[in-house]
Formats: sequence, C-alpha cells, structure tokens
Amino acid sequence: MFLTRSEYDRGVNTFSPEGRLFQIEYAIEAIKLGSTAIGICTSEGVVLAVEKRITSSLMEATTKEKIVEVDKHIGCAVSGLMADSRTMVDRARVECQNHWFTYDERITVESCAQAVSNLAIQFGDSDDDGAAMSRPFGVAILFAGCDEKGPQLYHMDPSGTSFQYDAKAIGSGSEGAQQSLQESFNKSMTLNEAITSVLTILKQVMEEKLSANNVEVVTVTPDKLFHMFTKEELDKALENVTPLLRDEAEPSTSSR
Amino acid sequence: MALASLPHLSGMKKNDSRFNPYDDNGGSIVAIGGDNYLLIASDTRLSTGYSIYTRNQSKLFQVSNKSIVGCSGCWCDTLTLTRLINARMQMYLHEHNKEMSTPALAQMISTMLYYKRFFPYYVSVVMGGLEPDGSGWVYSYDPIGNLERSKFHAGGSSGALLQPLLDNQVGLKNIQNIVEESITLEKASRIVQDVFISAAERDIYTGDEIHIMCITADGIKEEKVDLRKD
Repeated sequence: MFLTRSEYDRGVNTFSPEGRLFQIEYAIEAIKLGSTAIGICTSEGVVLAVEKRITSSLMEATTKEKIVEVDKHIGCAVSGLMADSRTMVDRARVECQNHWFTYDERITVESCAQAVSNLAIQFGDSDDDGAAMSRPFGVAILFAGCDEKGPQLYHMDPSGTSFQYDAKAIGSGSEGAQQSLQESFNKSMTLNEAITSVLTILKQVMEEKLSANNVEVVTVTPDKLFHMFTKEELDKALENVTPLLRDEAEPSTSSR
Repeated sequence: MALASLPHLSGMKKNDSRFNPYDDNGGSIVAIGGDNYLLIASDTRLSTGYSIYTRNQSKLFQVSNKSIVGCSGCWCDTLTLTRLINARMQMYLHEHNKEMSTPALAQMISTMLYYKRFFPYYVSVVMGGLEPDGSGWVYSYDPIGNLERSKFHAGGSSGALLQPLLDNQVGLKNIQNIVEESITLEKASRIVQDVFISAAERDIYTGDEIHIMCITADGIKEEKVDLRKD
C-alpha cells in the first residue's frame, strides 16, 4: 500500500490503481492544519466564527482576515493556506459582480460556491488559456449567505465538492467541533443562540484562551446582510459564553 | 441629413456602393403590462422595400413561461438574437437550477445588445413578462442595449407612429378631468387591435395579421386577428 502510494502521489492528475488522487487527499489533510472555522445556519441568518492564531504578541491581529465579504449578501470563512484562499475569494467576488452585471440580481449562495468549485479543480496540466495551478488549492471554505431561498451555509473542500450544511466546522479543531455541533444544533435555533453556540464550541477546541482579539465573527442576515462584529459586539457576545464555562468549572472545584 | 448627400464629410463618392450587412425587414411590436397580465402583439408581415417575403411570420418569441421577446428590424439579426437568448436561458437554468426571472432576462438582453456595441444587431426589441409579484411589465431597448422599463411600449417600423397613441389611450396622457385607473386586459386587447389597424393604414411594413400573446397566472394564450393585406 505504502509503495503504491509513493508511486502515484506525484502527478496531480494520476489516479492510483485503487482509484484515488493522492494529491487531493493530501490537500484535504493540509486544511486540517488550518485554524478552526465554524458556521451555523438558522432561519434568522447565518453565523460564521473563526479563531485567529496570534503567533506573536508583536503581530497586528487585525490584519489577519479569515472571514471576508464576497458580496453584500455572501461571506466566506476560510481555513488552510491563506495565500491560496485569496485567489479563490477573488474568483468568488468576480463571479458575484459578473452575475449582478449581467442579470441585475444577487447571485445565489449555491451558484457562488459552485463557481469557486470550478476554480478548485482547475489544476494540473496547463491548457490553452494559460498557466493552470500546479497543485490543488489547500483551502476549505464556508460560504454563508442570504438569497431568495433564505439563509444558507455551503462548505467546499480542495476536491471542489460543495454541499449545503446546517452547521459545519473546518480546520484543525473541526472533528471535535463537528461533534459538538451535532449535539447543539437544532432547526429552531435563534441567531443569538447560534452565536453563543459557535463561540462556546470554538472556545472548547481552541488552544489559546478565547478573547475578542483572537476571534472573528460575522453574521449574514436577510436585513443586515454581511455584518462583521466590532470589538464591542464581540465583547458582548463573549459575555454570554464565559458564564457557561464558569458553571462547568464550579463542580470540579467543589469536588476537589 | 443622410451622410451620402454630404460627400465632403462622408469621404465617399455619391454612387459608392459597398456591402451593406443590414436590411430592414419591418414589423411592429406593441406591449402592455397590467396588474396581473402582460399583453404583447406583433404584425406578421416580413418585407424588404416594396416586396413582401411572407405574410405570416410572427415576431414574438416565447423564451420562458413568464416572458416573451418581441423583435423586429433586420430579420437575420432577430433570428440570431432570439436563438442566443434561448440558449442563454437554458444555460442559466442549468447553471443556477432555476428559471430566469423577467427582470434578470431584461438586464441580460441589455448586456447582450451592448456587447455588440460596434456592430449592433439592427433590431428593435420589446420584451414583456410577469414579474415575481405577478404584475406585467414591458422592457424596451434600442439596438445597443439602452433599456427602459414601462407599462406600455410600441416598437418597430410603426413605433414612432403608435407610441403617442398609446401614451393617450393607455397612459391617459393629455386628457383633462380623467380618473387614472389601471387598464383591464379586455381594454388592452381592444386598444392593441385598434392601434395595429391604424398602423396598417399608414405603414407599408406593418400589416397582414396581428399575433397577440397574453401571459397571466393561468398561462399563455394566443390569438390572431386579420389586418389589411395591401
């Protein structure tokens, strides 16, 4: 098995005899090194939250942008190689504006995710229209948006497959976070409950201490559309999270 | 003043004849949008100069269940443009998993026409359809894609002849002491037939038959009414 793998994982577009494309699988592994991003879709809107790993106290934390506005009604949370994500976000933005230009309407979240998926699989040998990407993109993206179908959340991975989710986590803490989402998500959740939920889960899976400096929160709602939380809004949202954890901590101290 | 009569400006000799890619095959389109219907009509004469190619060629093209494109002018451009619109509608359906709405179609036609800004389709386009709220609206274009959204419009060879008539009869303009109310489908249908009869009297490029199409929530109905054939 290991021998066949080392032979077939060089060409990005060469299938192994078992029918696998190892470079894509490696790219999917690469995003598991990225910072955790979580999204929950409620009937009132979608919330995205991302941890920002502050590697140095000298680093300007605000310059680390992991949730970006793609159009007024669509936001993206990315995890993995940030440089690769720029290319994909650029494409998403172009597709949104192109759709608006041609049809004078907002693109659907599904179509936006689909358009970026098309870019994700354009790696390998370059063709007539110039140089192609030499490797798969090492990025997973959560698309949050509101269109005529209401609030929606889509997930896309380096293989270019995209699916709609009620709640999804990507990045290094995704396995634990996805488990927690499974337990805490319900269809009748309010947006505020979802915000508290994503922050609580993020706090559980993060290595560092959760604070307003190392987290980014965005909501996409039908009336306010894309909205990035300010420092004040973050502090307020975090107030709901801390007491929960204090309650959990109390029994353990009393038992000691 | 035509450029040919100013040879010093045009830089061409008087009897200079070059290949002319355009022809005017005539035809008129009238459309009226109401609170819950859209009525669009064209004549069925196709001609060039004093000759008639055919007496039964409609200039209306149903592109979806909610919208109809009326197109007159150079017939070969009409064919190309409408086939392209149909193809784009199909591509949109496959790409976005939904039928294109009337406002989206309106903008798409505008961009399609503007993309041929320097070799335009020689056509007058009048598109009508029901919008998501169920009301009927009319979109009219010049050959390079300028777009106007209105409740009624006349385009094609009799466009300039009929528009003031519609302004008065449908828009109720220049009438004193009148209560403004929306036009019923029956009244719109009668007005359309009347204005086409008037156009056929004065315009040799409009005549033979009127092809009337009407979109309501119940679907699309078609009707043909005779016009003078000389």
